[in-house]
Amino acid sequence: MGFVITTLSFVAIGIIACLCARVCCNKGPSANLFHLTLVITATICCWMMWAIVYLAQMNPLIVPILSEEE
Amino acid sequence: MEVLKNLPEMDLMRSEKMTSVQLIIPVESAHRAVSYLGELGLLQFRDLNDDKSPFQRTFVNQVKRCAEMSRKLRFFKDQINKAGLLSSALPTMQPDIDLEALETQLAEHEHELIEMNANSEKLQQTYNEFLEFKMVLQKAGVFLVSGNKSYETTEGIELDDNVYPSDYPESASLLEQATHSGPSNPSGLRFICGIIPKSKILLFERMLFRATRGNLLFNQAPADDLIMDAVSSEMVEKTVFVVFFSGEQARTKILKICEAFGANCYPVPEDFTKQTQITQEVLSRLSELETTLDVGIRHRNAALHTIGFHLTIWMTMVKREKAVFDTLNMLNFDVTKKCLVGEGWCPIFAKPQIQEALQRATFDSNSQVGIIFHVMDAVESPPTYFRTNAFTNAYQEIVDAYGVAKYQEANPAVYTVITFPFLFAVMFGDWGHGICLLIGALILIAREGKLSSQKLGSFMEMLFGGRYVLLLMSLFSIYCGLIYNEFFSVPYHIFGASAYKCRDKSCSDAYTVGLIKYRDAYPFGVDPSWRGSRSELPFLNSLKMKMSILFGVAQMNLGIMISYLNSIFFNNSLDIRYQFVPQMIFLNSLFGYLSLLIIIKWCTGSQADLYHVMIYMFLSPFDDLGENELFWGQRPLQILLLLSALVAVPWMLFPKPFILRKQHTERFQGRAYGILRSTEMDTDSEPGSARQHVEEFNFSEVFVHQMIHSIEFVLGSVSNTASYLRLWALSLAHSELSTVFYEKVLLLAWGYENILIRLVGLAVFAFATAFILLMMETLSAFLHALRLHWVEFQNKFYGGDGYKFKPFSFAAIADDED
Repeated sequence: MGFVITTLSFVAIGIIACLCARVCCNKGPSANLFHLTLVITATICCWMMWAIVYLAQMNPLIVPILSEEE
Repeated sequence: MEVLKNLPEMDLMRSEKMTSVQLIIPVESAHRAVSYLGELGLLQFRDLNDDKSPFQRTFVNQVKRCAEMSRKLRFFKDQINKAGLLSSALPTMQPDIDLEALETQLAEHEHELIEMNANSEKLQQTYNEFLEFKMVLQKAGVFLVSGNKSYETTEGIELDDNVYPSDYPESASLLEQATHSGPSNPSGLRFICGIIPKSKILLFERMLFRATRGNLLFNQAPADDLIMDAVSSEMVEKTVFVVFFSGEQARTKILKICEAFGANCYPVPEDFTKQTQITQEVLSRLSELETTLDVGIRHRNAALHTIGFHLTIWMTMVKREKAVFDTLNMLNFDVTKKCLVGEGWCPIFAKPQIQEALQRATFDSNSQVGIIFHVMDAVESPPTYFRTNAFTNAYQEIVDAYGVAKYQEANPAVYTVITFPFLFAVMFGDWGHGICLLIGALILIAREGKLSSQKLGSFMEMLFGGRYVLLLMSLFSIYCGLIYNEFFSVPYHIFGASAYKCRDKSCSDAYTVGLIKYRDAYPFGVDPSWRGSRSELPFLNSLKMKMSILFGVAQMNLGIMISYLNSIFFNNSLDIRYQFVPQMIFLNSLFGYLSLLIIIKWCTGSQADLYHVMIYMFLSPFDDLGENELFWGQRPLQILLLLSALVAVPWMLFPKPFILRKQHTERFQGRAYGILRSTEMDTDSEPGSARQHVEEFNFSEVFVHQMIHSIEFVLGSVSNTASYLRLWALSLAHSELSTVFYEKVLLLAWGYENILIRLVGLAVFAFATAFILLMMETLSAFLHALRLHWVEFQNKFYGGDGYKFKPFSFAAIADDED
């Protein structure tokens, strides 16, 4: 459940970022498309990073074994 | 497909549309037109006189004059630097100075300066001579006084060890002054005084001894001050010497030896009063010369100062003029010799601006005839031009360093803007180090205005040029650092409590069996309980390796998709059917499937061994999977994927060359029938140029090319996927280095109670972090991210064999010279 919710929040943040980019630097259709591409790429990269680390920890095969020094 | 064709143009994706143009300029407005075009900076001239040597071109004289003027300006600059003056430019812009007037002005200044330099050199030489004379008088006077007495040594005189008592005639008291042109005495002891650099004195003495067969008396004393040596123009120590000898032949020999050794001889009167007289004269002359020299230097400095005011303006002017004449040399005279014809490339959007500049030039030069500017067809492919701003410029340069994009092919810089800093951050991930980088980047950006006008060292210049890259790199590093949960290698519980706890209250088996996961996974990033545990590395290694594979497959798929976009743009359906589709099938049925397995294994928590699954998919695909089964239907799916991959290889290898050959014969078989043609060539209006396109279709060459391309892709898919594992390797290295510095330096030093040890530990930690982690690791991760982009990403779609648009621009010349 946490996975879906966080994914949706990434999507929401991405959409907000696109809107911000459109509002702040509206420089014509070709430039807007470029900014949109940048924002979407960044959102996808960040989401992938988070999702990979989250999925890897969902059903781990090993657990932390504390080391003696502690 | 239709949707993709109808998408609006994206800013940086493809080169600006370029057009080949022709200019016909009447001679009287040529110079002005080219200057205005240089200010505009949007037209690249083609060199129409390529085959001519520089001396055969039309405007060679003007170029020579400009070169001569810039030589004079460089001479002035040298002189100003040597004199140690600071060059201060007058802020006011001067009106356009005529080139000829400037030339005469420069010639005058140079003449003046050279004269002043020559004079001051002569004066300096005379001054040196008098200085030496003064020293000789001082020291030699002492010798001569003692020589008048008997031969015993008196205190205060340093007589050398090797004094050679020669046959002293009885008339020793009749010492004569030895002048260069004095009346020669038939007999008697004479002497020569002089001064010689200290390094040569021993050899000199020995030579004299040999030459005169020991019949001489040699005294020497070191001079008090350093004297400027005329030959090497540095201050050397000199020694004053006096040689007593007899005989005319000895005199000539000694003089010759003095000359050979560079010793300067001076006439010293042996009479004491005369000596004092001459010393007085010499001293007065010396002070006179000093003042004269002083005045001369001040005069010269004043002249240099006035020159220095205008120097930068003059230099820019001369550079511009030379550039204009170089460009004019690229144009051809037409048959009537009244017009210059030029060809070039310009972006289509710049055509109105160029028209306007040309009109202005016609008007300003009062020419009756306007300049003709029209589009012309060209055979060769246009240059590539991307309009970048300060932000995208650095990324475009990174891409161009590998190869400039072919005209209108997709520009990888669009995606590189984000993926390059992101992959850097995957390898660098530590939000503490990320914050340090961010501070550095913000400082560079805040002082943008000041730093861009300064002249920076080469390292600082690179750093400054990449400030926006550094900014994005630092932002993504902070993000990845939060995900890896490393702040100078220390994890924090920022996003809530850990998902692991002890199995029971006593935590007795935490050190043997480990903790237990009692909640959902840690919401953002790596759980902080992993740091310091014994199973940290197995877990993180597995995570990071799988992450690298997932990112690699994603980026390579993006590359293949971009090649699809290219095929659509160039209407190359052959490439789509026989290259894009089999490539997608091959890559995704093997490595896409591996990525799928990774995700399924994570989601289900299965214990399947993925190495085993992948290897046995190839070795024995029909065997039962047993405990390696991750989902129902895995075996038939694997067989299907294996078959698709095997089919895809000949699919990308064979059809394309055969079809190309068929197309070629179809296209040109109509040639024999003249008008009848089956397919039209594009951009072809003149029948003449069509002849150039009839190349021999070399089937074997095309086939080998296709084979190389296919093998490269197939083998490369394995090697490129493995290459992405460097994301894991570097991130592990960074994390381990960081841990070592933290635990073994900082914590160790902090363990002691002594404040000094703590400070030393802190200092070592700071230095190690700054130099090794922040500088070396940044460069290393930068390099590897760059390699991943240049090779693994771009070899899926990038041609990179275009050439860059280099317009004739004054701004570019100014940058070049610096």
